[in-house]
Amino acid sequence: MRTRDLAYWLFLMPVLAAFIFVVVAPFLLGIYYSFTDWNGIETKGFVGFDHYIALFQDKRFLDSLWFTTKFSVVSVILINFIGLSLALLVTAKLKTSKVLRTVFFMPNLIGGLILGFIWQFIFTKAFAGFGAMFGIESLQGWLSTSSTGFWGLVIVMSWQMAGYIMVIYIAYLEGVSKELIEAAEMDGANAFQRFRYVVFPLVAPAFTVSMFLTLSNSFKLYDQNLSLTGGGPYESTQMVAMEIFNTAFGRYDMGYAQAKAVVFFVIVAVIALVQVYINKKREVEM
Amino acid sequence: MRAKWRAGLLAVSLGLAGILAGCNSDKAGSSDNKSKEEQVTLDIFQFKVEFKDQFETVAKAYEEENKNMKINITTVGGGEDYGAALRSKFSSGNEPAIYNIGGPQDVADWEKKLADLSDSAAAKAALKGTLDGVTVDGKVLGVPYNQEGYGLIYNKNVFEKAGIDPASITDFASLEAAVKELDSQKGELGLEAVFALPGKETWVTGLHLSNAFLAPEFDNNVLTAFDSKSVEFKYSDAFKKVLDLQNDYSVQPTVSLDYSKQVEELFSLQKVAMIQQGNWVYGSIAGIDEEFANNGIGMLPIPVEGYKGDHIPVGIPMYWGVNSNADEAVVKEAKKFLDWLYTSDKGKETVLNDFKFIPAYEGYDSTKISDPLSKAVYEYAEKGKTIGWTFMGYPTGWGQDELGVQIQKYLSDKASWEEVVDATKKAWEDARK
Repeated sequence: MRTRDLAYWLFLMPVLAAFIFVVVAPFLLGIYYSFTDWNGIETKGFVGFDHYIALFQDKRFLDSLWFTTKFSVVSVILINFIGLSLALLVTAKLKTSKVLRTVFFMPNLIGGLILGFIWQFIFTKAFAGFGAMFGIESLQGWLSTSSTGFWGLVIVMSWQMAGYIMVIYIAYLEGVSKELIEAAEMDGANAFQRFRYVVFPLVAPAFTVSMFLTLSNSFKLYDQNLSLTGGGPYESTQMVAMEIFNTAFGRYDMGYAQAKAVVFFVIVAVIALVQVYINKKREVEM
Repeated sequence: MRAKWRAGLLAVSLGLAGILAGCNSDKAGSSDNKSKEEQVTLDIFQFKVEFKDQFETVAKAYEEENKNMKINITTVGGGEDYGAALRSKFSSGNEPAIYNIGGPQDVADWEKKLADLSDSAAAKAALKGTLDGVTVDGKVLGVPYNQEGYGLIYNKNVFEKAGIDPASITDFASLEAAVKELDSQKGELGLEAVFALPGKETWVTGLHLSNAFLAPEFDNNVLTAFDSKSVEFKYSDAFKKVLDLQNDYSVQPTVSLDYSKQVEELFSLQKVAMIQQGNWVYGSIAGIDEEFANNGIGMLPIPVEGYKGDHIPVGIPMYWGVNSNADEAVVKEAKKFLDWLYTSDKGKETVLNDFKFIPAYEGYDSTKISDPLSKAVYEYAEKGKTIGWTFMGYPTGWGQDELGVQIQKYLSDKASWEEVVDATKKAWEDARK
């Protein structure tokens, strides 16, 4: 490592500088601000751990944390289930599999905000129109109650991310050697058994990656939340990222919002590390 | 190989040059003076998207007249968060010379960065009462943009067809009767509902609607609201009645109905008879149906039962502030520019004809106000039939994040009106401890 030449550092420098300026420095600065009563214009003084104590009694924050957790659990399960199913579908010998891969991946290319607005239209207009045509009352007034708002978010998130996760699964599925499957088939394993005992353990690393991605993305979700429900009705579909933003820019309680953000960071980091650790243990070597 | 190495070096040096050039960008409205004679740059950071183009044209004209001036206008608004953008602008060290402030809370936050404008011609010409919210210890820290007002905007054609005389609506009872009449005929009139209540927009319910009923208990004075340790909800029943009326006869579900659906989709296409909005929607409506915007709309009061039935809330949406951190020359030129804009003949003409503002200053020929909503607002103001805007004096975030959200809860049947009032009263007191 010591013998890296000048060129190495020269080429690394821009990235390193960007990383330090854009990630490390703001993060440390943020931790500093979380101990002050910064309002975005000036810092009046230190408040010590007041913010950290207050936020554990802040009903808004705890509600949004609980909502985010619920949302993440459901999304992680659904996205991985759908992603894996799609991957199995397009790796099967289908004539249209190439086209389907593109189609399933497509939603991921659309920005979260636009996606939210498109789906808002679908939920409020298309669903209502469909419901009126067939007399299904439950399709009316989507996004105007907290439960339809919740499922709306889950649907949009799954729709967007499943295609991305599918790609990860495809990579691993195609790496599974044909001989192993054939051998299992010879031994009399049926399709389900082949999947459960041969393929599934071999794609376990894909689970580690995709669960990490879905988990962290679900927790940090902001754009779809903003464009689809805006946290409404009555803040019941407000996720943590949005709650923090509103604390900072709605009430200009920047120091407090920063404290929430630090706590949020710790929560996401801990959950992600634990998840990766557990998943790693279950992976098998070829 | 050599060529590649050179290309690499070139790329790196270009990149570095770019970074350095970026660092070297000019400072807060500073005047790059000394070398050139009194060349002054005015950076203006403002929020009103609607008049952005016209404003830029005026700035150009001003530059023509005053060769030593350079005006840069940045506009952030219209759905974007101006307050947040302004804070980042200041944090970045790129401080504008002229920026916008809203009311007492903004003034308190920015006080150290606002120049005293008491001696400016604009401040002297400002209408009585309009400077209350931005005056601290006798110092005027901002001058008003314009006046705005809101009420119930109605569809004249529909009213006529239904046989209702809008002039007869002067209190809650007559409004309710008219609404019921419209509702009974909504099939023939081609209406989806009488109202479109945008419950999703917490500023419509939590700020504007509430203001009509809270302003009276603060004597219509924004500073009284700002200094008040508590809120009483003296006209709580009247408030509930108007909210219920709008909700019961609205396109449903109201909690997910937003501004664009209310104004553009439902009202402009004449699917509802009335919406609670202000004179600023004229542009949106004209963009869809100019004929309808010019001849088919009018404004009705928001009746406050027990107080005044035929008044509309009129106030100042934003003020211009001058950055006291800027160089002396810049501050001087900034004041001069604002004076020119609001008190010179050419400026006045632009304000009225191009900006389509309802002036908040004396000495304007108000007969030239062109759009019907602004005209209506001006007429109410002339007759003194106005309720003040006090929502700028609410605790930060209270109107939208507390009251607006509670109203959403109420509209979703998740809270009773008493719970709404109690919860928001408590939130006000907590915020003002």
